Amino acid sequence: MDSIISVRNVTYEYREEETVYAAVKDLSLEIERGSFTVILGHNGSGKSTLAKMLNGLNKPTSGDVLVDGINTKDESTEIEVKRKVGMVFQNPDNQIIASIVEEDVAFGPENLGLEPSEIRRRVDNALKAVDMYDFRESTPHRLSGGQKQRIAIAGIMAMEPECLVLDEPTAMLDPKGRAEIISTLHRLNSDKGITIVLITHYMEEAENADRVIVMNDGKIIADNVPKVIFSDVKTLKSVGLDVPQTAELLYSLKENGFPVDTHALSVKEAAAEIIKAMRSEE
Amino acid sequence: MTVLEVKNLTHTYSGNTPFINDAVSRVSFSAQKGEIIGIIGHTGSGKSTLVQHLNGLLKPTEGEVFVDGENIWDNPKEIRKIRSKVGLVFQYPEYQLFEETVYADIAFGPKNMGIAGDELKKRVLDTCRLIGVKDEYLEKSPFDLSGGEKRRVAIAGVMAMKPEVIVFDEPTAGLDPAGRESVMKIIHDYRQAVGATVIIISHSMEDMALLADKLLVMNKGSLEMFDTAENVFLKGDRLREIGLNVPIVTRVFYELKAAGIPVPDNVFTVKRAVEVLKGIKAGERGA
Amino acid sequence: MLKDITFGQYYESRSLIHRTDPRLKTVLLIALIVFIFLAKNALSMGLSVLFVLSVMAVSKVPVKLYLKNMKAILPVLIFTGIINLFYGEGETLVSFWKLEITTGGIYRAVFMMVRITLLIFLSSALTYTTTPNDLTDAIESLLSPLRFVGLKSAVHTLAMMMTIALRFIPTLIEEAEKIMNAQKARGADLENGKLTERVKALIPILIPLLISSVRRAYELAEAMECRCYNGGEGRTRMKQMHIKPRDFAVLAVCAVVCGGIITLNIMF
Repeated sequence: MDSIISVRNVTYEYREEETVYAAVKDLSLEIERGSFTVILGHNGSGKSTLAKMLNGLNKPTSGDVLVDGINTKDESTEIEVKRKVGMVFQNPDNQIIASIVEEDVAFGPENLGLEPSEIRRRVDNALKAVDMYDFRESTPHRLSGGQKQRIAIAGIMAMEPECLVLDEPTAMLDPKGRAEIISTLHRLNSDKGITIVLITHYMEEAENADRVIVMNDGKIIADNVPKVIFSDVKTLKSVGLDVPQTAELLYSLKENGFPVDTHALSVKEAAAEIIKAMRSEE
Repeated sequence: MTVLEVKNLTHTYSGNTPFINDAVSRVSFSAQKGEIIGIIGHTGSGKSTLVQHLNGLLKPTEGEVFVDGENIWDNPKEIRKIRSKVGLVFQYPEYQLFEETVYADIAFGPKNMGIAGDELKKRVLDTCRLIGVKDEYLEKSPFDLSGGEKRRVAIAGVMAMKPEVIVFDEPTAGLDPAGRESVMKIIHDYRQAVGATVIIISHSMEDMALLADKLLVMNKGSLEMFDTAENVFLKGDRLREIGLNVPIVTRVFYELKAAGIPVPDNVFTVKRAVEVLKGIKAGERGA
Repeated sequence: MLKDITFGQYYESRSLIHRTDPRLKTVLLIALIVFIFLAKNALSMGLSVLFVLSVMAVSKVPVKLYLKNMKAILPVLIFTGIINLFYGEGETLVSFWKLEITTGGIYRAVFMMVRITLLIFLSSALTYTTTPNDLTDAIESLLSPLRFVGLKSAVHTLAMMMTIALRFIPTLIEEAEKIMNAQKARGADLENGKLTERVKALIPILIPLLISSVRRAYELAEAMECRCYNGGEGRTRMKQMHIKPRDFAVLAVCAVVCGGIITLNIMF
């Protein structure tokens, strides 16, 4: 596997006064270049701590994180790592630095010391990629949550990273904003080949991912394609995760003796599964 | 018994600035004692403006709000009194915590209502018992609690005022399922204990189908529907037109119906879905 | 309402004034204010008024936004007017106690009020047509000679602080309003009571606001780090400010107006 990020036996400990608390425990993980990975976990499962280690914002207490072969512990290549692996956070308001959309998107490339014409090109491309080009001269303050979050994504995209790590980017958005962000991420992944690592606790956002990793108590407890992960409703519920209503419905039907396959996720797939089951004994 | 009545409420934002607003026009509805009313509508439909009128935070440009039959603006100087009758819990209420201890924070509301001494202590302790805040938490700083616990304490701060109508703006936003469940439980327990009317703004049609007796649908500042949850969800096409939807399970049942399976239109929860399908299956076997 | 404050509120449009180089606009604002204060007769003042009104018209910013800024300064304006009424020479019109209002006084008062109004309108024209960021860049650029005295990073830090402050002012105002509403919903009384009580009533608002600002600052710092910010070392800018032909035209018009004011002052 061609890995963009390798996480090797990583442990991360927080110290709070006397007590030491391990948020991530001896975790290993490879992220394949060009893949779309979703990391699921409830609040406090260690998923955010892991996310911040992927671009060197947090340094592991023990173990190593390699980005394209570069160890994030190496201080001389810190900027290089952050340029390759961009990071988007939960609250879009706290990531936007400038009062004009395009000036904000320019912030990253400006820090890289690029030529003005190159910055312009990247800003325009990034804004087009998230479908916010028409808003380039607007004030972020007036935009909706989903639009602001897309500006934050554009701000990272303008650094032309290879990988985007997003830490619960939809947690503060309404359903419309959430849908906007998820479809934007899939477009960046399929059209531009950007590796996506999406951290969330909304399971339905993992529907079209290549791979789903479930975290609990600082460890990986499941790692598979979405259909296999979602069919295990019991485990997901036991680690405090949200289960889409389709999965819940199929699971209840199965418990009531219906011969349904609980792998189905979308409304259409679930309906097809139920129709099959209803007709099976006719 | 009607506890709350809104008549012809209109609110236009003054200032005439060309900036965004969230106006409301000609909204009328009433709430009965003990009812759970869900408010749905996409962002900017006027939901937040509407609920801020219920406890007099905003004054209607036109129209009236009645609580227990009295127009709340009859005596504008006494408007603060209405806030103990109609409680309002904003989105992310944990951001309003400020006191040194959990006890003091929960006591802030009742203290503002003029309650003091043993009565105040009783109020706070009763509320804590009701929502399951343990005694050893009372002297802790609210800022040392976990996210879900902070949210519960903030909600307790409003419940301690014992409002007969309590309004929540997306009370479970940003919480994980365990946190959501515990918040929904305290809302339920409060309603049971006080017999209060509960009004909840939510984006989750699935939650609304489980909870709400009635749904109030807002669209572009106007009242689009105010009816039982069942009657509202039966109008799926209209809901979609205004950017809303029916619960996911209902969407699955639309597909089943299209495929010729004789399912009714009023399936809005997983529990009912399973019952309906079991019924059909049993019927087939019988035939 | 707090949100009615239009401080740093850029009004989007693409007028000539919007497109004029922000450095030039800043320098011209200062120059024009000086000249407007030099105008001393009706003709030169008339020219100033005419000029400022044209600037407002060309800016395509609604007049009501200008008037809104005026409203805030109204008490100062009236006070200045009244004070000036009593400082003048010439024919006495009204007199009472030790004070007298003269024709000269009226003349002075009107002049002073017109000057202040023009000053407000002109500064508003700058802030409405220039993004806060451009304004910051202009100030950074105008202060850049300071780098020769070893203050390079100080100038950058100042500019960065201004950018962030301008970006977060509307966000914090909105937040303050939310917290105020939340505490009012808990029965807090923010409007009545003695001064000490009202100051005390601010605590439930200031503490949450402070806590949330600290959280925002922390998150913003992380986000900036993720965007490769390291204190402005080696940083370039997307928008390079170039003086364009139209800037010379603007400069020429302003020079003519300034010249006109002086000429009219001398000739009449």
